[in-house]
Amino acid sequence: MRLTETEKRMLEGQFGEALAKSLQYIVQFGEAFDAEQLEDIRYCHYPAEMAIYEGSIEELQEFAAEQNVVAIPTTSSTLCADMQCPEKTGIPLALAQNQSKACIAHRKLGIQPTYTCTPQLNGAVPAFGTPIASVESSAIIFFNSLLGARANRGGLFTKFSAVTGKYPKMGYMLEENRAGQHQFQVEDFPVNPMENSLWWSALGFVVGSHVGSDVPVVCDLPVAPIERWITLGAAMATSGSVSLFHAVGHTPEAHTLDMAFQGKKPNSTRTIGKKELVSAIEQMTNLSSNEKIDFVCLGCPHYSLEQLRLAAAWLQGKKIDASVRFWICTSRMVRSMAQSSGYIKTIEESGTKVIADTCPVESHMRISTCQEYHLPIPQIQALVTDSFKMARYTKDLIGCKVGLTTTEKVFQSALEGRYLVW
Amino acid sequence: MVKEFHGKGVVKGVVTAEVVIIPHSFSFLGDVEMNLGTILAGENKGIPLKNKILIFTESKGSSGGCVVLLTLVKKQLSPVGIVTVKMPDYNLAEGAILSHIPFLANVSPDIFDSLQTGDQAKLDTINGIITLIPNSSQRSKEAL
Repeated sequence: MRLTETEKRMLEGQFGEALAKSLQYIVQFGEAFDAEQLEDIRYCHYPAEMAIYEGSIEELQEFAAEQNVVAIPTTSSTLCADMQCPEKTGIPLALAQNQSKACIAHRKLGIQPTYTCTPQLNGAVPAFGTPIASVESSAIIFFNSLLGARANRGGLFTKFSAVTGKYPKMGYMLEENRAGQHQFQVEDFPVNPMENSLWWSALGFVVGSHVGSDVPVVCDLPVAPIERWITLGAAMATSGSVSLFHAVGHTPEAHTLDMAFQGKKPNSTRTIGKKELVSAIEQMTNLSSNEKIDFVCLGCPHYSLEQLRLAAAWLQGKKIDASVRFWICTSRMVRSMAQSSGYIKTIEESGTKVIADTCPVESHMRISTCQEYHLPIPQIQALVTDSFKMARYTKDLIGCKVGLTTTEKVFQSALEGRYLVW
Repeated sequence: MVKEFHGKGVVKGVVTAEVVIIPHSFSFLGDVEMNLGTILAGENKGIPLKNKILIFTESKGSSGGCVVLLTLVKKQLSPVGIVTVKMPDYNLAEGAILSHIPFLANVSPDIFDSLQTGDQAKLDTINGIITLIPNSSQRSKEAL
């Protein structure tokens, strides 16, 4: 690998042992994939250490104690509890206390305490062409696809990128790897504004399941607000490991079909209609119509201010069923904006909780964490949501039954305590 | 006949151990019981990964897999070598680099016809080779 003089000096330890160690990992990583040089990255979404993983907090404390500080603007991914009000999620106290140590270390490292899967809703908006390092599949696919920033599917090494400001020039950092590979025509896509989050999620899930880790190009989508694009990407990154897609006429590397494919021919072409989407919803759902439920969740990925406004408008003056826990998940920054806007009060008066920093899947309700803390399993019997990502992971990691439905019916299900089909 | 397969060393090291053959894609998040370090489903269900060389086609699934691998290392339940047909996804490569687990990628899929779960093999990722240790296979044991 070709290194700059500064990189060589960093590797030799001239900027401290800690930085040398971090850069050694980045270089070793690049060499494994034959990267020719390192890229200067300009933003990082950091993999926040979660207390549900053994030893994770201790490692972070060591990392912070080595005088590491982030070199670039850095936001942070989710935790296993709402650390502004841990009692709200029912997390065991010991686990919350352990998690709070992470927040102290993050502050020392210079990381913004965003604790979210939607940092783009917290002002992290890297410009077109900016190389970045990021965790959280739903954020990565948004940065790459909607903004045209340059990101690979980051993991634990993202923290080494945060302190060194470096990442190997490989994968989606390189223009030629960003060409579309598979073409999808969308037919009779439902566009009702309240209903359609479910359909965007279903579409993403179906596309992702066809392409694995390749780059899909989606044609004939309507103009949509930012939240729908977040939903679409999150679902693609759930059924497949898609990190980049193009939507012709909507995303910056796809003004035309030809541009999306960089002048090449698609490897495959497929039409997706309402029939495929319905079939995906039915396959993911294992609750029967009108079956009793005990959990309802919106905010996967974490909700925006506008989505909280809509939730407040919908829930105003209503009460959710006594047997149901209803979480709307968001980031603490968006929650505080919604607080100032008066939305949180309206939502919570209905019995719904607005949860920040976490979500059911990342929380103590995971089967493996329940085993460790001797909690009843599963923590949820039957959950209703409008998100394929939430449905897929709660099923596997929490062990509950799941029902997918439209956003409007999610609210209605919470009021009635039973699963209302879309 | 010497059975050896060549590939690209993603993480360098040398180890001799029993192999576990998974002739399809695999994810540490979802396919492994995190507290026991055993395989959750399929033909190898219940087999512990501890001290084994794990051979599969390609990595799949969430970025959480890397964390699960490191958790297995901390619990001393992790494999000691990994071999794949395709290049690993970045997350799994990161996990293997951090835990210093020798990793060989880009081996021929013929490896699934030549090695069986329970065989002993020597993995040398410095030279990019995995070699079946003669007479270690289940078949030759049965012949004896």
